[in-house]
Amino acid sequence: MCSKAVRDRDKTVIEFKEVTKIYKLYKNDKHRLMSVFYKGIHYKEKRAVDDVSFSIKQGESVALFGRNGAGKSTILKMITGVTYPTSGDIAVEGIVSALLELTAGFDVEMTGRENIFLKGQLMGLRDKQIHALEPDIVDFAELGDYIDQPVRTYSSGMKSKLGFAINVCIEPEILIVDEALSVGDDVFKKKCLTRVTELIERDNVTLLFVTHAPATARDFCKRGIVLKDGKIVCDADIDASIAYYKANMSDM
Amino acid sequence: MLLSIISDHIVWRHQIFKLAKSDMIKTYTGAALGWAWAVIKPSVTIFVFWFAFSIGLRMGGPIEGYPFLLWLTAGMIPWFYMLEMITGGTGAFTKYSFLITKMKFPVATIPTFVGISKLFIHICLMALVVGLFLLHGYKPDIYYLQLPIYMLLMLLIFINVALFEAALSAMSKDFMNLVNSFTNALFWLSGIMFDVHEINIHWLRVLLMFNPVTFIASGYRNVFIYKVWIWEQPQEFLLFIGALVVTAVLGIWSFKRLYKEIPDVL
Repeated sequence: MCSKAVRDRDKTVIEFKEVTKIYKLYKNDKHRLMSVFYKGIHYKEKRAVDDVSFSIKQGESVALFGRNGAGKSTILKMITGVTYPTSGDIAVEGIVSALLELTAGFDVEMTGRENIFLKGQLMGLRDKQIHALEPDIVDFAELGDYIDQPVRTYSSGMKSKLGFAINVCIEPEILIVDEALSVGDDVFKKKCLTRVTELIERDNVTLLFVTHAPATARDFCKRGIVLKDGKIVCDADIDASIAYYKANMSDM
Repeated sequence: MLLSIISDHIVWRHQIFKLAKSDMIKTYTGAALGWAWAVIKPSVTIFVFWFAFSIGLRMGGPIEGYPFLLWLTAGMIPWFYMLEMITGGTGAFTKYSFLITKMKFPVATIPTFVGISKLFIHICLMALVVGLFLLHGYKPDIYYLQLPIYMLLMLLIFINVALFEAALSAMSKDFMNLVNSFTNALFWLSGIMFDVHEINIHWLRVLLMFNPVTFIASGYRNVFIYKVWIWEQPQEFLLFIGALVVTAVLGIWSFKRLYKEIPDVL
């Protein structure tokens, strides 16, 4: 039993090998359309992620620091699989649950309950599994009768609650949290933090956490990665990374 | 690329049908008359065309013994599907951007479920058309068995068209406008309002028959009015298969060229 747990902890679940992501900035939409047919169209390059390599093992909890535009979101998007690297290899194993933008990703014309099913199906769950998880999600979201109303009638706080509830209840293997813990009131926030801690400690979930608040990161994470202009400038345990980030923040 | 698109469709088949269903329900709920609009919109257009040709231009005589209205309806109902696919296809990726930019989803299946969703509506409309023919005393016969074949061919070719359009329109709105400006041309340069076989210039006739809209619309009329089997016009069928291959190549080419860039520009 013990040896199995040890082996699992050694499994690499996320691996980046020399990953570079370049966004092409065209002068306007017309140039972008022309570039489809003719490769010589001029564009500017924006290196969002520049030759980044790292690997994360199962059960690790990693915080990503960096100023806006340092490449944090692009890295998370590539892990989620919604955007592709320009060069390099990415290997991700397991169900990724991304709390990127909680209020997005809903079909606003459908009810909250229908959205639970839609999201579950899109994450590859069978109807039976979703039926089993549904009471949990409804309970966690605390929406009351609103759960059967169209999502377009929700307030932004309600949408966030539902989004969070779905993402933490579907038993993810890799959980990506992008500033999302700032949702809802204090009571709900506390509930979220408890649930995330539970996932890490009990279910051996791998966590990637993006924040500008080092104090919150210290609560969850044991490792920290600091990014600057698309490059990793520090990859160490959480205290060392926070110290580095704080010391260099002014000129980053 | 073709293989990966096909395998995505097989792996995600349940989700594709669920999304098709929700796409259809979404299109028509939220308005007070809801589903009635699916019937009202085509009826008004058919009435206007019938009025212009029969009353205005006094040209709408019976065709093969069938009233002009029935001839018109048999060709126009499939056109509405094709029009919906041509205009809806351009916006497919933009409309479902949350599937592309917020989660991992096989993007190439989006035109497919949009096409299936619109096909549900089309099947309901066809049931009404059969009813309309019944009202005029024309009972369904063995030729009606061809309807599912034409529906499937229409679905296939317009999924290809929608994939091609969706990928390019995601890159630029110019392409969307380009498509919208040419839909009218596509309609009038097809065999919906006249019989292509009566054109005397040979190359023009072949060109117009290559327009898949012509093949589909005349196919539906072959079922309801001319009573012709699909294999009795092999030349037309081969031209259509040619068009099917061309659209498939275009769709896959544009998707392969752009699928990495689409999430970044939406």
